[in-house]
Amino acid sequence: MTPTPPAPSDIARARCATGVCLGVEGVGDDRVEVRLTCPEVAELARPGEFCQLQVGPGPVPLLRRPFSVCRADPEGGVLAFYLGVVGEGTARLAALRRGDRVGVLGPLGRGFTVPDPPATLLMVAGGLGAAPFPLLAQACHRRGVALAWLNGAASAGRLYPAERLGAPVASHCATEDGSRGARGLLTDILGPLLATADRVAACGPNRMLAQVASIVAEATPRVPLEVSLEAPMGCGFGTCLGCAVPVRAGDGARALALCCRTGPVMAAERVDWSRLLALPPAHAA
Amino acid sequence: METVSGGAGSPGHPVGFDPTVAIGRGLTLPNPVGVASGTFGYGFDLGALCPVDRLGAIFTKGTTLHPRPGNDPPRVAETPAGMLNAIGLQNPGVEVVRRDYAPRWRDWAVPVLVNVAGGDIAEYVAVARRLDGVAGVSGLELNISCPNVAGGLDFGIDPRPAARCVAAVRAATGLPLVVKLSPNAADVAEVARAVVGAGADAVSLVNTVVGLKVSLALGRPVLPGAGTGGLSGPAIKPIALAQVARVRRAVEVPVIGIGGIRTATDALEFMVVGADAVQVGTATFTTPRAALDVLDGCQAHAERHRLCAWRDLRWSALG
Repeated sequence: MTPTPPAPSDIARARCATGVCLGVEGVGDDRVEVRLTCPEVAELARPGEFCQLQVGPGPVPLLRRPFSVCRADPEGGVLAFYLGVVGEGTARLAALRRGDRVGVLGPLGRGFTVPDPPATLLMVAGGLGAAPFPLLAQACHRRGVALAWLNGAASAGRLYPAERLGAPVASHCATEDGSRGARGLLTDILGPLLATADRVAACGPNRMLAQVASIVAEATPRVPLEVSLEAPMGCGFGTCLGCAVPVRAGDGARALALCCRTGPVMAAERVDWSRLLALPPAHAA
Repeated sequence: METVSGGAGSPGHPVGFDPTVAIGRGLTLPNPVGVASGTFGYGFDLGALCPVDRLGAIFTKGTTLHPRPGNDPPRVAETPAGMLNAIGLQNPGVEVVRRDYAPRWRDWAVPVLVNVAGGDIAEYVAVARRLDGVAGVSGLELNISCPNVAGGLDFGIDPRPAARCVAAVRAATGLPLVVKLSPNAADVAEVARAVVGAGADAVSLVNTVVGLKVSLALGRPVLPGAGTGGLSGPAIKPIALAQVARVRRAVEVPVIGIGGIRTATDALEFMVVGADAVQVGTATFTTPRAALDVLDGCQAHAERHRLCAWRDLRWSALG
């Protein structure tokens, strides 16, 4: 049965703030974590929520870029974002220097469910999809939820180091070139891990998420799966209506939902995977 | 400098400065800086990110007779200094606007003008009629120039169908009627004259410019279908300024300038070439309070130069 569609995210929690760069740390090959002082957002951000980062004074590039919150430390007032250089916006963020100012609009969107203990949450991350998991792992650990971690990437240098999650995890990984863990895709080794999980949270390319959803749907007993989707985004707060993704309505009918307000995290059974996969890859835009 | 509080001038303004903008049929905007259709929803989305009470006007999302789900994604694509959109008039339909939204607007200081769209003249008329006399609705902005819906553009690029549409809506409502013009018309001035002749109280321009972005990797346009969308943002500002200047010379009614306004300087430039008011659009997406920042900057300019009215800016060197 399709669950009742969730209420859109609460815009009243979003702040239009200015962060100050504390540093950009290389994480493996061509991946960085950008750390910002931004107390007003750091104290509010919850796992799976995102921020719209301003990558320059404009007008080129014009739009902010959406990034999942990777870490949020309310005491220190620090936010971190994990990203790879895929275009001009990410190149500018990766080139930030300590003291540079960055517009931070957030937290935005609906995040992951933090389960009630006792429970084991399996976190499934493909490539840059590792971004929201340190914050989720820490929230779960504080609450007494056990964690398993399945990470897949092209090569060992692109895996997200499990020790950076900031919580103890049972760690599994797959690399396409076999340089660490199983050779192949994370979906090749996902099936057996589901037996020990009460709940699954996944983030990565939409194509990977569709495969994860299909594997989880076939497993018995069924475990709830939440996925963090990506979509080309204009505003990030529900006004431009640009980030629609195909979903199934309550009666199973074709519908669209805004990734920025109903998502980016949605219950897997809400997503209309076949229509989503028929769309061009988000990065092509 | 002597100042007054309340009355026509806001606190901090020199005596004699009138920040308001008369649109006609009893509608006067408290100041010239509004937010553009499609960039501010129905005024509820942004909350504290952009308090609505100081805005000059809210022009709502384009509203049709029945709810529309909008186009399949992708719907937006960034371009140099701009963005393309092909939202496809996603909106909840006029009944929801009338029943749920208008009562909430009633107590707002900012006038809300509902942007009206349709597939044919009968639909425009039906929407207008349902909004006539509804408390909370201060006026209509007739969107005869939406480039993203089949048929929507046709009214706006040709003066005769544009005038027919406006005349039909004029007969259906007593509300102040702003007609939003397309930059894709062969001669925008001719369309402006035609719609004013048919009863428009004011005109607003420009709507988005038809554009297309190609993905070389995919070997086709980024947006679906034919791949065209509406271009907005700073990239279109020079086009908008040229068309506002041209329309200003063609008609006597108030002209509302739209297109790539991010700063007070941008807004004031539109007033120099004849705009009576402006709308901030795409800038809200990156800076939710952009319209308020533009307003503050314009007011500071007015104080600095001791304007009596915004009209003093027209073709006037103030340094």
